[in-house]
Amino acid sequence: MTTANIGKHEINYSVQGDAGAPLITFVNGLTQSVGLWTAYSKHFAERGYRVLAYDMLGQGRSSKPVLSIVLEDQPRILAALLDHIGAERTFLAAISFGGIVAIDFALAYGERLDGLVLMSTFADLTPQLEFLGAALYEGLTQVGLPYLQSLLYPMNLSGAWIAANRERIPEMKRAGYIGNDLYALQNLMESFVKFTPRGPRLHEIECPTLILNGEYDFFTPRECHDLMRREICNSRLVLMQRAYHAFTLEMPALTMRQIEHFVASVRDGSWSGDQSVWVAAESADAEPCLYRALGDHMRAIPPYEVPANAAAGSAR
Amino acid sequence: MTPDLFDAARSRIERTGFDPDTQTRIALFLSAAKSSNATFLGCAQLLPVGDLVMQFLQAQQFRELEFVTLLARVARWSPNPLLYAASGPIVAPLWAHWWAAAPGLPAAAITAGAEQLYAGLAFGHALLAHVRLTPVIPAKTDPLDAFAVALARIEQENGRMLQTQIRLLKEACAEMPAEQREAIVEEKSKLVEAAFARFLGWLAEA
Repeated sequence: MTTANIGKHEINYSVQGDAGAPLITFVNGLTQSVGLWTAYSKHFAERGYRVLAYDMLGQGRSSKPVLSIVLEDQPRILAALLDHIGAERTFLAAISFGGIVAIDFALAYGERLDGLVLMSTFADLTPQLEFLGAALYEGLTQVGLPYLQSLLYPMNLSGAWIAANRERIPEMKRAGYIGNDLYALQNLMESFVKFTPRGPRLHEIECPTLILNGEYDFFTPRECHDLMRREICNSRLVLMQRAYHAFTLEMPALTMRQIEHFVASVRDGSWSGDQSVWVAAESADAEPCLYRALGDHMRAIPPYEVPANAAAGSAR
Repeated sequence: MTPDLFDAARSRIERTGFDPDTQTRIALFLSAAKSSNATFLGCAQLLPVGDLVMQFLQAQQFRELEFVTLLARVARWSPNPLLYAASGPIVAPLWAHWWAAAPGLPAAAITAGAEQLYAGLAFGHALLAHVRLTPVIPAKTDPLDAFAVALARIEQENGRMLQTQIRLLKEACAEMPAEQREAIVEEKSKLVEAAFARFLGWLAEA
């Protein structure tokens, strides 16, 4: 880990791979830290990429201002961090909270992006997301950070993952508790107080954009991702099968495969940003790794057969 | 605060057990943290009666004193007098803060002006935010262990109490330039972090 002095802040970051290689930058979710991208850094560095991961202002080992964190400062800090490591351009992959930072970066510094990967994120606060965010904020401030952590695990991860990692979770929570500070997370959440919808400006994003949405992501559901698909012309939406909100943590191999496929297709010129909807293969080594979605992609229920003699009921 | 400091302290406690020496070290430091914050909060008595800020600070003072009492009751205190003597330099930075910030009567801290008031709030914020002991509790500790439960309760309440400091630091003393307020907050934060890091090192000693 290394620290960059950006303005009056210290930003903790990790960079792997050769300086001249194409850069992929990862942006954390709210309670994440740079360490959670370790497997991604190794994977992509071994395949000839340079990988940057960093703690946002207010996270992990970066500076944690007590008085306030301004959401609009985050893309400026990322731009300065890219300058610091001597990178002119990057592919930018971001999850959840980090997705807003990535969208803001794309709007302000679009010329520096080779491509954008938006995972489990949103551009507008839907009423559901707004209420969920308010409840999480209340939990953090009125009950505490351990409560927020306890809530996020079952919200963001599958029952199968929780069952398989039951023994590890207390230690993971402890590490998260040490690495995060309540007041800093609170400041990050409060930086949304003046949030304005990004939806109306999404059409300004011109770079290739891959949007990844977990099938069972009830935190940032399909409507959040479909808005981005509809508004970003050069985009595609890929649905991650059986995935919850934190699929970068639960399904790293599948996620890396989708990012790798996207980056390669942009670099070899085969990328087609046609706002189409795809379904990711369930195996990381499946070929192809994507299938075109059929039917209404906004629905979670698959196509079904209606008997010929079925009677139509009254409207709900 | 780096994880290795917490890890080293927890490893040592796992080896020797959650024994009276360990509990005494923790209780002495935590009591000093609570008492030094309560000393500042006690000055809220001098604020106008019924003032909203006074109500928040006074409520917090009582909570802090309650936790000092709780620690006194649930800790298994060590009979080793050297331990108490050794704790002096460990907790001294917390009390020295007062002599630097408000020489003479502690009440001067709150009546002498905005900067002292702000410094007291920033010091309280740093104590409530940075002094976190639950990560040193060994994983296999009895979940009903009275001392471990007390630490968890204190820490959970710290997060709630911290809201008073957060709101006041953001909104009080607005006549002071933001840079000055940030500098005070940072200074107190570093002071407490350094004292707490030294304490964790002491806790990690065999």
